[in-house]
Amino acid sequence: MKSIKIKADNLNVHYGEKQALFDVSMYMEKKQVTALIGPSGCGKSTFIRCLNRMNDVIDICKVQGKIEIDGNDIYAPDMQVEQLRERVGMVFQKPNPFPKSIFENVAYGPKIHGIAEHKSDLEEIVVNSLKKAALFDEVKDRLSDSGTSLSGGQQQRLCIARAISVNPDIILMDEPCSALDPIATARIEELMGDLKTEYTIIIVTHSMQQAARVSSRTGFFHLGKLVEVDKTETIFSNPSDQRTQDYITGRFG
Amino acid sequence: MSEHIVSSYDEQLDLINSSLIKMGGLVETQLHNSLVALGDKDTAFAEEIIRDDNKIDALEKEIDALTYKVIAMRQPLANDLRTVLSALSIANDLERMGDHATNIAKRVANVKINMPDTPVSEIVNMGENVQSMIKNVLDAFVQKSDKLAITAWDLDVNIDELYLSIYRDLLKTMAEDPDTITGCSHLLSIAKNIERIGDYVQNIAEDIHFITTGEALERKSEKRIKWEKV
Repeated sequence: MKSIKIKADNLNVHYGEKQALFDVSMYMEKKQVTALIGPSGCGKSTFIRCLNRMNDVIDICKVQGKIEIDGNDIYAPDMQVEQLRERVGMVFQKPNPFPKSIFENVAYGPKIHGIAEHKSDLEEIVVNSLKKAALFDEVKDRLSDSGTSLSGGQQQRLCIARAISVNPDIILMDEPCSALDPIATARIEELMGDLKTEYTIIIVTHSMQQAARVSSRTGFFHLGKLVEVDKTETIFSNPSDQRTQDYITGRFG
Repeated sequence: MSEHIVSSYDEQLDLINSSLIKMGGLVETQLHNSLVALGDKDTAFAEEIIRDDNKIDALEKEIDALTYKVIAMRQPLANDLRTVLSALSIANDLERMGDHATNIAKRVANVKINMPDTPVSEIVNMGENVQSMIKNVLDAFVQKSDKLAITAWDLDVNIDELYLSIYRDLLKTMAEDPDTITGCSHLLSIAKNIERIGDYVQNIAEDIHFITTGEALERKSEKRIKWEKV
């Protein structure tokens, strides 16, 4: 078995009175893509938001249980949340570049995290991040143009470049292609294949075909529970739980 | 099995399913008619049976086109994917079974072939056994029953035994009376046609097992013909 990067144990999440996750336990392999699928409101986004403690900002959200990254409990009292978020980058459903230049979008993270000491270091990080996100060739002559002037697919790759600029080891992607056309989607999927040589990727997706194409393991969430997690091939050819089968074959939503 | 949210998807899968059942029924009839023609040495009926093979071939093409369309348009997964892939394989096997049944009729239709009476009744008996295997496997398919499929699969060992016994009898007849060699050779081929149909029934039973469980059927016959002892 490949080594484990993230491990969740009996995770329970409440938003006020409402319980969003019930006893979720699963692991995610290092430098692999793990896909999370399930109908809207099933808890998959809540789950990945626990992985970088994004839920901390919601007052009524209460997280119980344990999440370990590289064996360290990320909800331990001495955990520095800023450092955690440096290691766990995130890309959202809708591309959300800052209303700044392409360069500034990518330079922002390294600046605030104090990663780059000199201007030349910063330039190097920006160029490398744009290259890794397969965007550099398309924008190299207009780095001072606004990030919002790019196409949707380019904006999403800019957000990926921004996420990797602070040198994380994990990238969380919450439906990163749902606002993109099939060509831009294919580019992001191809990019994920390249990125997993360096990063552990967790993707939430509503597209069954996308989960099947990009991931090595897939987890199916339903009503706040992790119904089944297995090799992607098994989930889509012969899942063990009837609910998984009904969902992936379009029998309930 | 609960229904798909998109009902037109269910309609397409149902059509594949009903076409296969219809095709299976035609094959069963084709074998039944060939056996009747063989028993009665009815050449006119045999000619009619030969023409009926077209219907089976046409249905296979229809099922091929339907499955192709469902794969292209619906991207079926899990049990749906297994059902659609197996439909292709089952339709192909049924078409071959139809050909074997038709081959029997083709030999019966040839008036110049003089077949000895005694082994004919044994062959018809063997054919009726295979016909009931077909019925069993079609029931298994209709009910998507792994248990019934395995029952049908296991019946093939009886067919192999009957085939061996007929084979021996035909050799004996030919040895005793060389005038019967031509007729007996044709009967040997007919017996072989019937035996092959039994093998295709096993293939279909294996497909049903795959549809229902997602796994290949690992099963061995308890007995195996030892040809060196013949």
